[in-house]
Amino acid sequence: MSDVTTDEPGGLAEGHAPKEPLPLASFDDPHLQPLAKQPARAEGVVGILLLLGLLGFAAYGAVYWVGGQPQVEGISLGVGLFCFGFGLSAWGKYLLPQGPFMEKRHKLASSDDERAAMAAAIVERGGMMVKRRSFLGGILGIGGAVMGVVLAFPLLRSLGPVPAKTFDVTNWHKGSRLVDNLGRPVHVADLEVGGSLTVFPEGYTSEEAMAVDQTILIRVAGPDVDVVTEPSRATWGPDGYLAFSKVCTHAGCPVGLFQHQTLQLLCPCHQSLFNVGQGRPATNVFGPAPRPLPQLPLYVDESGFLRSQAGYDQPIGPGFWERTTT
Amino acid sequence: MSTSSSSSSSSSSSTTTGSLSRRRSTPVDSGLGWLDDRLGVAKGGRIFMDKIFPDHWSFLLGEIALYSFVVLLATGVFLTLYFVPSAAQTVYHGVYKPLDGVKMSEAYASSVNISFAVRSGLVIRQMHHWAADVFIGSIAVHMCRIFFTGAFRKPRELNWIVGVSLLFLAIVNGFLGYSLPDDLISGTGIRIAYSILLSIPLVGSYLATLVFGGVFPGDGSIIPRFFILHVLILPAIIAGLIGAHLFMLVRQKHTQFPGHGRTEDNVVGSPMFPTFMAKTTGFLFMVTGVLWALGGLAQINPIWQFGPYVPYKISYAVQPDWYMGWLDGAMRIMPSWEFAGFGHTIPFMVFLPGVLFPGLTSILFIFWPFIEQKLTGDRAEHHLLDRPRDRPRRTAVGAAFLAFYFMLFCASSTDVLANFFQVSLNVVLWTFRFVVFIVPIIVGLFTYRICLDMTGVSHVGKRKRAVLIVRSATGEYTTVDTEARPGDGHHELEPMLVPGFIEGLDGDGAEGGEPGVRRVVRRP
Amino acid sequence: MATVRRTMHVRYLLPAAVVAAVGLGGLLTSLSAGASTRSRAPSGTHAIAAPTPPIRYVGNFTPAQVHEGQVLFEANCSSCHGTQAEGSAVAPDLQGLGPATVDFWVSTGRMPLADASVQATRKPARFDNQQATAIAAYVASLAPTAQGFPSGIPYVDTQAGSLSMGNRLFVLNCAACHTITGAGDALAEGAYAPSLHVATSTQVAEAVRTGPGNMPVFGPGTLSNAQVADIVAYVTGPIQHPNDRGGIGLGGIGPVAEGFVALLIGVGGIMLIAFWLGERA
Repeated sequence: MSDVTTDEPGGLAEGHAPKEPLPLASFDDPHLQPLAKQPARAEGVVGILLLLGLLGFAAYGAVYWVGGQPQVEGISLGVGLFCFGFGLSAWGKYLLPQGPFMEKRHKLASSDDERAAMAAAIVERGGMMVKRRSFLGGILGIGGAVMGVVLAFPLLRSLGPVPAKTFDVTNWHKGSRLVDNLGRPVHVADLEVGGSLTVFPEGYTSEEAMAVDQTILIRVAGPDVDVVTEPSRATWGPDGYLAFSKVCTHAGCPVGLFQHQTLQLLCPCHQSLFNVGQGRPATNVFGPAPRPLPQLPLYVDESGFLRSQAGYDQPIGPGFWERTTT
Repeated sequence: MSTSSSSSSSSSSSTTTGSLSRRRSTPVDSGLGWLDDRLGVAKGGRIFMDKIFPDHWSFLLGEIALYSFVVLLATGVFLTLYFVPSAAQTVYHGVYKPLDGVKMSEAYASSVNISFAVRSGLVIRQMHHWAADVFIGSIAVHMCRIFFTGAFRKPRELNWIVGVSLLFLAIVNGFLGYSLPDDLISGTGIRIAYSILLSIPLVGSYLATLVFGGVFPGDGSIIPRFFILHVLILPAIIAGLIGAHLFMLVRQKHTQFPGHGRTEDNVVGSPMFPTFMAKTTGFLFMVTGVLWALGGLAQINPIWQFGPYVPYKISYAVQPDWYMGWLDGAMRIMPSWEFAGFGHTIPFMVFLPGVLFPGLTSILFIFWPFIEQKLTGDRAEHHLLDRPRDRPRRTAVGAAFLAFYFMLFCASSTDVLANFFQVSLNVVLWTFRFVVFIVPIIVGLFTYRICLDMTGVSHVGKRKRAVLIVRSATGEYTTVDTEARPGDGHHELEPMLVPGFIEGLDGDGAEGGEPGVRRVVRRP
Repeated sequence: MATVRRTMHVRYLLPAAVVAAVGLGGLLTSLSAGASTRSRAPSGTHAIAAPTPPIRYVGNFTPAQVHEGQVLFEANCSSCHGTQAEGSAVAPDLQGLGPATVDFWVSTGRMPLADASVQATRKPARFDNQQATAIAAYVASLAPTAQGFPSGIPYVDTQAGSLSMGNRLFVLNCAACHTITGAGDALAEGAYAPSLHVATSTQVAEAVRTGPGNMPVFGPGTLSNAQVADIVAYVTGPIQHPNDRGGIGLGGIGPVAEGFVALLIGVGGIMLIAFWLGERA
């Protein structure tokens, strides 16, 4: 018998005459009895289940036909498939030979001879190929390596531009007027104290630009109060306004959450917390963000609109290898 | 080769003459003979049909994954017929009125259309999503079974590696699929993925811009790129690896728990045909049925409620799908460490949890069989499985690891927990920074202790059998095990080889009987 | 509102029951009914431009209202806020905050508050709408409304609001704290953004305009009245009555709840099937 249940899949071992007969069993053999105590009852249950499955399928077809409804579709076909499968599995479990059956395991490893022969085939026959042809072998090797490298060009390099300076640059410049997402300029009277607004530099409306330029404008004090987040930024917060990059320094989510009583900005993604206000330059006080949010210096022009004194003084957003320290 | 030229039945006639001579030729015989003359399938085919699959329920866990994958392929094909993998902007004027006139990507618009305008589209879309969640969940559970029973030991290390690779590929592909609808929540996930790529020292910025076709959000190529990865490249690799996984399983034969008649040299269970085939096909239908019912009854990822992704918009309570939760949790509880100096920046607070941690996790998982070999010095072949309690150290380590990843998973919902239990977010976060390390240690120690206690008790975990106390003629008392329960009775039988021929099924066998009547004889 | 939810459930539960009990014939009839409800559902949400203003601010109160408010205020509020609403060590000065602010805090049940040290929680209001308005009227009568606060209680014409505009504004301005489904979530240091699922149209508009607690203030310079009406229409519409076409909504908290369902019902349920199908030894 051992040769019959050989490991060779797909009949590769044909030609070997079985040494033992294929086992024969009587239908009365206890191994061939069903597991069910009352096979007739089990048969009935299986029949009902398969029938329910059939009904479920038909019901789904009908639901679909009259226009469909997600929940009814889900119930009908779900129950149908489940009952159908339940019936089939129960058939297999209760009405088919209970066993237990077995097969023998065979050593996976080949004989020592076979191993040696395979190793020899690689080493010796392969060796014949390159023996006294090391020059050809060299060219083959170098050629393969070069091919690998040049094939990587279209596969990798074509994917996109190399970063260049693009990471450091937003579209905020000296004198950029602040506008909201619909392009409406922000007037100094627009925000109440405790208000917030997402702003962009005027004239840059593409999604790519807005992703980088997004800035959160908040108002923490009334007119004529210059908010000084730190001494070197004495004029950056005119009339109670402050503007910070909305791109979190942790993983780049928009820091859109402004708590106006506690004067904090919170990033909804990983809960980094930044303190803002007088003497509070968006300091990262909690969570994984490693740096304060960059602050945009503001001024109010003669018509009362908010503008930026300059662009950001550092790259916005999360850190990366080429980011120089400031 | 001589046997294959003759008919299939005569090739083995010399050995089973008795039953063959009585065997009537059926249409199957002639059809099979035709095929066998050309391909020689009879012998291998029968051996395959005789293949034994052990019946323990925990051996079906991998099948849940397999059948979820089948469902994923089928539903995925349906979805590709309606999904438009494009970031091109369009204005929505569809069935769902609250989004009427909103500018959005074709990808998002088509996903909303699948949910509202395509008949059965929403059920199938949701089923696809549920199937993905269940696929990865069942892989994880299956992997736990393999781990705790030591099924990864020699000769199955390679299959363990294939399995671990499948887990990680499935997670990656799940993330890609989750990103495709381009809704507000998934777009935020892509944004974070971009930052994770960006955080890699030296090459991060190059990788990020290459993958996204520019600085985030790139030139709109990320959706089509994710799409082709999600629907073709990764599924092809996954399908190939599943094939290799199953090939190795067939080649090496299944492991089994120790038990009556089970040895290192045999496999005891049900034959491939028809018992296993019927059970497993039924199981396929049941898995599909559960997933379909979930798809129709439990709402998942209602993207129409989220709106399209816009880079400067954000929702609170954004979590990734559950299988990414451990990474998101690690991102959340990571302290804010960033190295800056020498003109360079290394954002450790993203790089460590986002790149290094999953990298180390996958390496540790992949090499676990070899690590354990090194630790135990056990290099023998094993086909009989361990009971987890018999390997207290491995079981304790495994439980601790599970606890660790589960705590990270919980940490990905710090905000939801804080809100639900009305505790301060800060308190929750700090708690997690500690419990992520404390809980696994406690769990590991407890598990170790419990395993030791269980090894001291005999018959633990076995089904209870009543014991009779018998008084002998001399007045001596002895205990005798009662009969096995009826359902358990067949465990007591000696396992037999799968019979090549069954006599008596046609009713004209050696024992005679009514022709065509199946006789069911109860065991005595 | 409750009836709307109810009919949604009935819409799919009823046919479902029919499938199970009666079978095919009954199913077909019930379905044609279900299908017609479905096709009706999306309509009626269309915004129609109305000649009336999107928000009316009602700030003219009768002396009777002011008087009623004074009685209520002195009995329920003055112990902390002072008889002239001038504030105290434990409670803020209310003068000049305008009627909308007061109406919001009182009508949502946040005031009166037992313990001033924690964030006021929405609870069943102690006063009905009329009483809340009266209290607001009284406080408003004490001092002119300060600049930046609405001078009246806003009444929103939600029919005039555009849902799609409201969606865009909600996602930009509100979802960062209240979440995209309006479920609310925890903020830093014990604060939280409340759920929006029970707020009335007036309360939403009041909150937007007055910025209660940590919520930012959205004045007319940030959001026009029409835009506030859009947001209110979106909140009282799709946020409070989401189109849960996909089935059970799972609380609108996204992948956390979905993960539990997938693991417990999906993986767990199928494992139970496997437990039945396989053997235990």
